Amino acid sequence: MNMLEIDDLHVTVDGKEILKGITLSIPAGEVHAVMGPNGSGKSTLSYTLAGRAGYEVTSGHVYYNGEDLTALAPEERAAKGVFLALQYPVEIPGVVTLTFLKTALNAQRRARGEPELDALRTLKLVREKAAALKIGEDMLRRPLNAGFSGGEKKRMEILQMALFEPKLAVLDETDSGLDIDALKLVAEGVNALRSPARAMLVITHYQRLLSYIVPDRVHVLAGGRIVKSGGADLALELEKSGYEGVVEAA
Amino acid sequence: MTALAFKLDSPDIFGDDFARHRGELPGAGLAWLEARRRAAMDAFLKTGIPNRRVEAWKYTDLANALASELAPAVRAARQDSEGGIFASVPGARLHLVNGFLEHVTEAAGLEAVDLVELDSDTPEWVSANLGMTAAGRNQPMGAVSLALMRGGVAVRVHEDQTLHLSFANPADDGETVSHARILIVVEDGVSFRLLESHGASSGAFANIGMELVLKRGAKLEHVRVQEGGPNALHVTTLGAQIARDAEYRALYVAMGGRLARLDAEVTLGAPGARATLHNVAALNAGIADTTTVMDHAASNTTSRQLFKSVVGGRGRAVNQGRVAVRAGAVKSDSHQLFKAILLSPTAEADAKPELEIFADDVICGHGTAIGALDEDALFYLRARGIPEHEAKGVLIRAFLEDAIEGFGGDVVHDVIAHRLDAALVTLGEAVP
Repeated sequence: MNMLEIDDLHVTVDGKEILKGITLSIPAGEVHAVMGPNGSGKSTLSYTLAGRAGYEVTSGHVYYNGEDLTALAPEERAAKGVFLALQYPVEIPGVVTLTFLKTALNAQRRARGEPELDALRTLKLVREKAAALKIGEDMLRRPLNAGFSGGEKKRMEILQMALFEPKLAVLDETDSGLDIDALKLVAEGVNALRSPARAMLVITHYQRLLSYIVPDRVHVLAGGRIVKSGGADLALELEKSGYEGVVEAA
Repeated sequence: MTALAFKLDSPDIFGDDFARHRGELPGAGLAWLEARRRAAMDAFLKTGIPNRRVEAWKYTDLANALASELAPAVRAARQDSEGGIFASVPGARLHLVNGFLEHVTEAAGLEAVDLVELDSDTPEWVSANLGMTAAGRNQPMGAVSLALMRGGVAVRVHEDQTLHLSFANPADDGETVSHARILIVVEDGVSFRLLESHGASSGAFANIGMELVLKRGAKLEHVRVQEGGPNALHVTTLGAQIARDAEYRALYVAMGGRLARLDAEVTLGAPGARATLHNVAALNAGIADTTTVMDHAASNTTSRQLFKSVVGGRGRAVNQGRVAVRAGAVKSDSHQLFKAILLSPTAEADAKPELEIFADDVICGHGTAIGALDEDALFYLRARGIPEHEAKGVLIRAFLEDAIEGFGGDVVHDVIAHRLDAALVTLGEAVP
């Protein structure tokens, strides 16, 4: 059974149809990339998978481990192992990062019927995962994402992914705004989480990220549809001939 | 027609009380006090009990909220010295019930005078200050609290100290009123922390006039929590005089009531005087009104004001802030910011900044933002597994945090955070 099964998905935002019949399957253990030009519907796909209000599924299905994902609230999806790394992580002044991580981790555990972690164990766990991403104690004590640089925000997203250990991770333009060192660090963090039990959907505009996170499959999204699918080399082809060439050929 | 309506809305109950009972009020026979009471009553009668036609009260119709007959509250038979949310904080304690001083815990460096016992032996620091502020024409309820003062306390602080001042109004009907005065004098260079709390009220009208006198270089940190419950009818009129290089830092927390108003006038009276006022309102019913006047009366004075409100249900938060810079008060530096989050379509927040500037070379900034909870932030928290109700609570607390942080130390901060969390649970229920 595929971990994620998207079947003829149509999604409307503000009365306008953005996704016009997407069909896509990801088995556990695989990393798929969705590439596409601006306005193709990449972010709509990621928000729809995470359950954001205002993204209305008008027809089609999204199954996650055989369960209808669209029937679940965002927090229920998270507790069941769906994680979305946002293109623009939200700044929340007034909420200390560490407190947020503990609240979120325990909310997910509670929802799954697991015992909550106390402050000390959470801190130990967070520190352990943060070290690998070069996230220092001071960043954990600061308000969530407030005043963080672009690279810090993306690393914080990957830290959350490492902490929550999702089964399905959707990375929306995680490479945007990163310099090459930050990109490598983030890619290493993502690669460390690749596992036979986990599926990933990497959404990106540029091929660059896919040199570091090598996907099993690449899909080209244009005009709200998948117009072409292939192996990792499809990304290189896109880099050479541009989206226009591929979209027209399809 | 207008004149008739005005009279009906504003019955002369307090004028009658004064005419009938002024000879029996505390300190009767003291010439200085009688003169101030008389002047205060005259000032009050120019307005009467304020209704919406009084500009400074246009959002808060006190006349309409009060019963047409109000008897003066009497001393409570049961004198409960417990309660008060800051009980865990070390310091001196003064507890007032129905406007009468009932419980005193003495502490070094602090003198207290029960205002019921004013006589010819009253110390000079009391007679020199009592009724000099919070009793003028523009503060009519403060004026009447002095004219009809039946109880209260005067405090003089000469050493660094913390005082917990708590109020209870257990009178169990809506037909009584207590007029009390509080005077606090902080001597030169002394750092003083005042923790003021108003517990649940059953509906009696509490009318308090409060005077704060900060002498040269004094520092006063004032944390005030008003949580009267749904029936509370409460007006505090505050007058603060800040001397050279003295600093007043205040956090006012209003949890609403049927009608709760704080009318604060801060006078920065000499160069180097500074004031920081933070006001937090969290309510889902009734009115929480904090109206301030920041008077830059001298050059090189600084004020910062931050008003933050979270309103659900049918609640209404009113914040009016007038900044006055007098002629000659050059290099005055003032800023005020009003922010409110509305959690329901029937909630209301009124924010009104006003500037009156009669000097050059000043900085006066202000800003206002009223809106709903940030949808992006709410989605972000939910996508990380935090349920919607809890996520809203997290965001509201985060919104209020910069207004409450840095006041009163960790214990006080935790007490306030805890009270707000309790209030937010009820607010959350009002979220559609």
